[in-house]
Amino acid sequence: MGAGWLGTSAAINTFAETGLNKALKHSNKRVILLWLAGGASQLETWDPKPGASTGGPFTDMGTDIPGVRISELMPQMAKRMKHSCLIRSLNTRDGGHGGGAQMMMRGRKDEANLKYPDLGAVVSRELGRMDSPVPDYVNFYTSTEGRNSSKVSPGFLGARYAPISLHDGEKLTLPNITKLDQITQGDHEARANLRDLLSRQFEQGRETGSVRSHAAAYARVHGLMSCEKLFDLSDEPQKIKDMYGPTQFAEQVIMARRMVEAGVPFVRVSRAWWDSHGQNFETHQELVPELDRVLAALIDDLKQRGMLDDVLVVTMGEFGRTPKINASLGRDHFATAWSASLHGGGTKGGAVYGKTDDKCEKVVENEIGAGELFATILEAAGIDSSKEYHVGARPIPLVNPGIKPIREVLA
Amino acid sequence: MADDKQTDFKAAKEIGQKSIAFSMARVPETGRYFYGTSDFGVYDIDHLAEKPEAKAFDGEGHNSYVMGVALTEQHVVTGGWDRHLVWWDRETGKPVRRQKAHAKWLRGVEASPDGKRIISVGDDMIARVWDAMSGKLLHELDGHAKQTPTHYPSMLFCAGFSADGQLLATGDKLGKVIIRETKNFKPVKTLDAPGHYTWDPRARRHSIGGLRSLRFSPDGKQLYTGGIGKIGNVDHLGAPGRLEIFDWEKGESLKVVNNGGSFKGLVEHIEFAPDGKWAVLGGGDHGGWLVFVDTKEMKITRELKAPMHIHEFNLNEAADKIYAVGHDKLVRFDLKA
Repeated sequence: MGAGWLGTSAAINTFAETGLNKALKHSNKRVILLWLAGGASQLETWDPKPGASTGGPFTDMGTDIPGVRISELMPQMAKRMKHSCLIRSLNTRDGGHGGGAQMMMRGRKDEANLKYPDLGAVVSRELGRMDSPVPDYVNFYTSTEGRNSSKVSPGFLGARYAPISLHDGEKLTLPNITKLDQITQGDHEARANLRDLLSRQFEQGRETGSVRSHAAAYARVHGLMSCEKLFDLSDEPQKIKDMYGPTQFAEQVIMARRMVEAGVPFVRVSRAWWDSHGQNFETHQELVPELDRVLAALIDDLKQRGMLDDVLVVTMGEFGRTPKINASLGRDHFATAWSASLHGGGTKGGAVYGKTDDKCEKVVENEIGAGELFATILEAAGIDSSKEYHVGARPIPLVNPGIKPIREVLA
Repeated sequence: MADDKQTDFKAAKEIGQKSIAFSMARVPETGRYFYGTSDFGVYDIDHLAEKPEAKAFDGEGHNSYVMGVALTEQHVVTGGWDRHLVWWDRETGKPVRRQKAHAKWLRGVEASPDGKRIISVGDDMIARVWDAMSGKLLHELDGHAKQTPTHYPSMLFCAGFSADGQLLATGDKLGKVIIRETKNFKPVKTLDAPGHYTWDPRARRHSIGGLRSLRFSPDGKQLYTGGIGKIGNVDHLGAPGRLEIFDWEKGESLKVVNNGGSFKGLVEHIEFAPDGKWAVLGGGDHGGWLVFVDTKEMKITRELKAPMHIHEFNLNEAADKIYAVGHDKLVRFDLKA
């Protein structure tokens, strides 16, 4: 095995399950995070300000929700706002790539002696199943820029909830799961059957958690070895590929859909790199239409498969971009008034939460921070955000005290 | 070889403003010009006046950045990211015609040397030729790819006529140039200048650059193309400005001029001295510059720091004044006495 996702944390009892948690683990809730690494401009996506001195050259367009307008660069999403909610009032206070990424992925800053688990790790712990043959948390990040500064982390949950990270842009697959060429498929299956037989014999009369966990871990490894087909899009219908488009990001989002369909609770697909300090408008002319097409295709695809009510799709990055346009016609880092979006599972389609001023320089209604968005995503995924974990005897809430989810955007 | 004194300009009159000026066209033999801005406005100013004052054109004009300004005998013709061309009465500053010209964002407008035709280019990757008086569409010129090889939208940034009006060149994001004879607008040559375009396939997976300016030499034999060189970090304009000179008939790249990178950013505009002995480039990154090039030697003879990123400029007939518009400023450069 490659990454240490089978390891367990010494600090907490990761196998402890509440009654509620058990019930949730039988649900089909999943999360796909489209991580817009580098920071997409809210003005060229979800919160356009055409005509303002800060608005840039693009105009806005109406959507299928009366009164809701988004950038003209997103005509496909304009027809799918009934499946979307916009958060236009993020003030996350950290305009650095590393700090901003940590804040958005964990909902708060780490303490000196305590590293918090990120969104994927929490969802993985809450929605993952011990007997699942697929990973609980997969992280695509194939571009190199920002990969280190937006590192995913299970924090105090430990390596069991660390993601499988996929970096290779040429051929994506899980590390070290490919059957060795020297072993035939028949031998491989025979070995598994023998191990399974011996294991079942050993389990007879030994009804302990450790034995069950040991057997589940082997089943998981064996199952993972069959995951390779999730990365092989050759059996994906051409009309589906055409919906998403021909780019690498599109292919990875199709893989993400295949993964949640196969039971992976959390997949992050990172699209780097949006950091448009120069030529912001040309950069967004490239990247926003790609996001528009891929996101719209994902929504349609999930809907056609009857999965949209269960799968939550999120778009966000480490921050937004400055209203002020610099001399290189770029926009710089801006965490004071920016946007994220939620689609499908557990959210109220058509909702718009929060408001910025006419120039998008500050939030004027319903300001929230990263914690509120973190809590909202958990709740939309069916996870009680008021829950606590324990590190030793210390109770650790999933979000900081006083942080509440945004009920207005939850279904 | 150009005389060094012929290019010894200095910033003489600087006018601050609250918007970015992208485009301009000057009335011949005067200091009066019209310019288009990021506040969607078109303005009229005399930069030789003792107290220059910009007068805004009035009426239904543009709803986005004004990227091109051209002059005809009676009109100022402007084009913007709102896809529209607007014909304005020069003297009243009122619009006389407004029409949708492109399916995507309009990037530039030029008038033919005789003032009878207008060319507009836009990100629908079509160049359109218009009758300057009636506004009638005369030709639609395609041939520029709509997408990059990595499946992202391309952009058609610029167009320019030869001094005799016999040739028209258009240039796109990938560095492709199509040259046409204006008698029938059939292509006569295609050039490739891919050095103006940077696609980063690994670190950031987006692009920057593109062919942003072009100009035929006064004798029509060479084509100067401007942009930016290969960029390591495509988040910034952190590479040398780039001039690539072509013998267009032979399809031969004669020289890439960037002086090792002392002037960084985009070459936004190119003009020649009336005698053709030198050319001047204007552009910038966060800052701006004018760069003078000896046309015989094809090498830089002078670099002048500008107070702002220059988006467009115009050299006057006596070659002793340069009127430049750009980021939050208008600047007149005068030849030192």
